[in-house]
Amino acid sequence: MKWRVIPLEVHDAYTNMSTDEAILEHVRDGKSGPTIRFYRWKPSAVSIGRFQSMEKEVNIARCRELGVDYIRRITGGGAVYHDFDGEITYSIIAPESHFPHGIRESYAFICGWVIAGLGALGIEAAFAPINDIVVRGRKISGNAQTRREGVLLQHGTVLYSIDVKKMFSLLNVSAEKISDKMIKSVEERVTSVSEYSGASIEETYEALLRGFTKGKEYEEGRLSSDEVGRASELAKKVYATEAWNFSR
Amino acid sequence: MVSVRLVYGTKIKSVQILGDFFLHPEETLPKIERALVGTSPRAKREEISGKIARVLAMNNAELIGVTPDAIADTIMMAVKK
Repeated sequence: MKWRVIPLEVHDAYTNMSTDEAILEHVRDGKSGPTIRFYRWKPSAVSIGRFQSMEKEVNIARCRELGVDYIRRITGGGAVYHDFDGEITYSIIAPESHFPHGIRESYAFICGWVIAGLGALGIEAAFAPINDIVVRGRKISGNAQTRREGVLLQHGTVLYSIDVKKMFSLLNVSAEKISDKMIKSVEERVTSVSEYSGASIEETYEALLRGFTKGKEYEEGRLSSDEVGRASELAKKVYATEAWNFSR
Repeated sequence: MVSVRLVYGTKIKSVQILGDFFLHPEETLPKIERALVGTSPRAKREEISGKIARVLAMNNAELIGVTPDAIADTIMMAVKK
């Protein structure tokens, strides 16, 4: 079984999320093979989990002011700030048969690829159940998974650099939490590649690519025109709509 | 973290369960929310969490990051406020 690897791309939030879903549909229908993709978010964006409230979690006014997009994911989990300069996101989309059956076990399995990528940069990371990756106890990667009709989709982030103050300004964090003390507390719990490595974001991507493809038969690929078309349709009809993003 | 939006009189009229949890399959959540409609807002924790657990079992669903008991507690706290 050969994996398709889609090299690092840059898209807006709607295209990023709709592309994941379009690939999922094509893998489900047997039209596309198992896929690994990497992407960044431009403009930067806040994504919220499937079951979160947009109004409750996100400072919409501040996002608009800074030109930051906001979007609901199809996966659960919490709100994430995807800074263009501060993060690389990956997606794995393949039949469930490629992974351990249990949800917890499959998180560990795929997070192993992220850990291998960080290892290629000399960063010793570890899996922190259920869905985090940490370096010396500090979170460097968050991951979220969904399964649909026999296909597993997991997407996750690898932090390259962090700006906690900016992140807090985009989320509805209480004034108490925005205090210098709380910012320091978050900084102590979260880390990024740039704290442990002088690698550029491009070099970080290359390392992740090595970690994800290690031991796999793969080829560099691109989206089919059908996938691009479906992603464009989903972006317009679902991900860019208030009906979806403000559904909770 | 879990929270609820609750509309109730003598019975729960609608409930939305919100939070950063995972539920597989995700489509189970509206079914849980519908199952809670009609429940007395003064119901005991076991009754509320039992309804949630039944929907999970019927749909072979897995809830991660929150428990039926925690959701029941959140509903009960919302009623108390």
